[in-house]
Amino acid sequence: MKLSDIMSHAGLSMYAEIALVLFLGVFIAITIRTFAPSNRRALHEASLLPLDDGTIVTPRNRGLNND
Amino acid sequence: MTLAPPAVETTARSGSAALLDRFSYDDEIVRKFLFATLIWGVVGMLVGLLIALQLANPVFNFNTPWLSFGRLRPLHTNAVIFAFAGNAFFCGCYYSTQRLLKARMFSDGLSRFHFWGWQAIIVSAALTLPFGFTQAKEYAELEWPIDIAIAVVWVVFAVNFFGTLAKRRERHLYVALWFYLASIVTVAILHIFNNLSIPAGPLKSYSIYAGVQDAFMQWWYGHNAVAFFLTTPFLGLMYYFMPKAAEGPVFSYKLSILHFWSLVFMYIWAGPHHLHYTALPEWASTVGMLFSVMLWAPSWGGMINGLLTLRGAWHKVAADPILKFFVVAVTAYGMSTFEGPMLSIKSVNAVAHYTDWIIAHVHTGTLGWNGFMTFGMVYWLLPRLFQTEIYSKKAMELHFWIASIGIVLYVVAIYSAGVTQGLMWRAFDSTGRLAYPDFIETVVKLMPMYWMRAIGGTMYMIGMFIFGWNILMTWRRRPAAYEVPVIEAAPLTRKYVALPVTVVPAGPTVGVYGRFVGVAWHRKWERAPLLFTALTILAVVVASLFEILPTFLIKANVPTIASVKPYTPLELAGRDVYIAEGCFNCHSQMIRPFRYETERFGEYSKPGESVYEHPFLWGSRRIGPDLAREGGKYPHLWHVRHFENPRAVVAKSIMPAYSQFLRNPIDFDGIQKRVDVMSMLGVPYGDAVNRASAMAREQARTIAAAIVEQGGPPGLEDKEIVAIVAYMQRLGQDIKVAKVAEGTVR
Repeated sequence: MKLSDIMSHAGLSMYAEIALVLFLGVFIAITIRTFAPSNRRALHEASLLPLDDGTIVTPRNRGLNND
Repeated sequence: MTLAPPAVETTARSGSAALLDRFSYDDEIVRKFLFATLIWGVVGMLVGLLIALQLANPVFNFNTPWLSFGRLRPLHTNAVIFAFAGNAFFCGCYYSTQRLLKARMFSDGLSRFHFWGWQAIIVSAALTLPFGFTQAKEYAELEWPIDIAIAVVWVVFAVNFFGTLAKRRERHLYVALWFYLASIVTVAILHIFNNLSIPAGPLKSYSIYAGVQDAFMQWWYGHNAVAFFLTTPFLGLMYYFMPKAAEGPVFSYKLSILHFWSLVFMYIWAGPHHLHYTALPEWASTVGMLFSVMLWAPSWGGMINGLLTLRGAWHKVAADPILKFFVVAVTAYGMSTFEGPMLSIKSVNAVAHYTDWIIAHVHTGTLGWNGFMTFGMVYWLLPRLFQTEIYSKKAMELHFWIASIGIVLYVVAIYSAGVTQGLMWRAFDSTGRLAYPDFIETVVKLMPMYWMRAIGGTMYMIGMFIFGWNILMTWRRRPAAYEVPVIEAAPLTRKYVALPVTVVPAGPTVGVYGRFVGVAWHRKWERAPLLFTALTILAVVVASLFEILPTFLIKANVPTIASVKPYTPLELAGRDVYIAEGCFNCHSQMIRPFRYETERFGEYSKPGESVYEHPFLWGSRRIGPDLAREGGKYPHLWHVRHFENPRAVVAKSIMPAYSQFLRNPIDFDGIQKRVDVMSMLGVPYGDAVNRASAMAREQARTIAAAIVEQGGPPGLEDKEIVAIVAYMQRLGQDIKVAKVAEGTVR
């Protein structure tokens, strides 16, 4: 008996549906989390990162207590 | 800004008594990639221009095998994708990664290895593809030793990137880095699995996959090469360089997060839309279409996010050519990501597939999105990398306008050509017969559009020369020694210290919802690159497995046909000549189940016909007619004359001449090795495993004798022409005695 015979009779199609639901669930969780009000400030600060090359960076505590 | 000695990093105590690291960024590697981008851009686009001219007039093939369309087309695509766009991505990636992480790259040695290794790979491509060494898989044509080199160099790049993440001084990973990270891991997965093959010589191999499965793997790779080499890396560049140029943050950072995860979840499923109405299982085709249509939303979300990043800066666009390049780039991204999902809809795809419509779609993306994003980024980098003013702002303006007009001329011409040919193929007259039964009619009609495309391409090329001239003149104005700024930044503490309670923004902190929105789980991912990488890989691998495995493991997907037999050793040798010449770049071997296709080419193609096809040769474009049922249509001599001089047989043909087939000897001794490898792959060669060379010589003598009988030249029994004629005459013959063996599997 070949592997393809076993797989054909294993009735695995439901696993694809479970995976789809899991993926969708994770995506919805990310969406809710992203738009949660409590994250507004942190995400705003993150959005400013490209503007902060800092040729000389003065002492600061980014990442320690304002992340 | 101070002059810095060190590539080494030191720790200093600043005025505030905080311990700060002192370091400098490695911009030398960025300058190297910038020049490589320019050089390979010019080379790749010049080759593109040459092959555009070859389609307008075959005289531009110069009767020279290594300059023929079939061999140069993959050189063009590889050069512009992996050499031009690849080096542009590395250039922007090395610049932005160091600054976003407040860290020099992990290893200067690995950076240099990456640079020189990648350039060596490109040179290898330029030295092999024109000489017929190819795997015959689009954008994955390079043969196995080069594939191994690509894997090694890519791993070095990945180690350098992840090493830099590990030693970073910025806790949060900015979204551009997510796009880079996803691109690095996904390209590695795609490259390795699509290129699995068994070597049959120093520069020859056969894919381990066959037929439907090979097609599935190839377009899983092919579409995601577009996604994770031309889209996500450049989105990363967009999210870094557009805010820099506009001097303001991205319009919506939240939208950029959704943009990222949507693309990672969805893109990997979309590949099968390249195989609508082929012998691919219907379910796979439908899944590909659905996910492609869903991609519309995040792609446009990203496009709008990019454009709105210029909010409050629109007045600068008129005066700043860099912003102009970015605006057109993002607009082109929007246009091509609108059109991509549209083309994935089966009924639209039925018209567009195999036509120039797809070529126009691709070039909207590459010339507009990748090209203009690169130009904008490089112009922005020039004064910073060469520490001087850009030589000519007027030249930047001229480049912008001439390249923009070039794109419009190119795509309008080729969209017209695609729609024209698609409609001509399916046109019936009032008596119910094909309105244009002779395929060449549908080719000749396109000639004015091909010339217009060549003009558009020339304009884009002129823009490229202006770009190069401006870079060189700016470089000449560089200082005698570059100033190397010293950066100071605090190292990360080993343990993350959360916000003090007093400054936590208002919001729920208790209950399930409170824990969900208050506990920063996603931000923990963002601070943990390895976990973030693992989750990205998981998303890509799980989606890939669910899509690919059923085709490999569930037998109902590929019903076999009892009468389909392996190619004879001589036919296999002829097939290898077909592959080496890149004939699949212009001829499909896949007849779709439409009346206008079966009337023109014969019975539609079945999955079971391709079970011994390592690799599959279904093709993706019909510049010439489909060849799936070519066997027996014409006598041997017709093929000899046609290869020797196509226009002697079909007056207006644009096919290159292959007169060398009548001179080049067949490597009879090498055939045995190739048959052995095919046998290893499960092709039931029976007796041929022991006497392939003798069988090939025998069949060659028979065909050569028949050619003489038909009035052809003598002495061809050891020439390539008999091998390729043998292959041509075999195509589609097995199905004529076919009886579908239902439920039997190979």
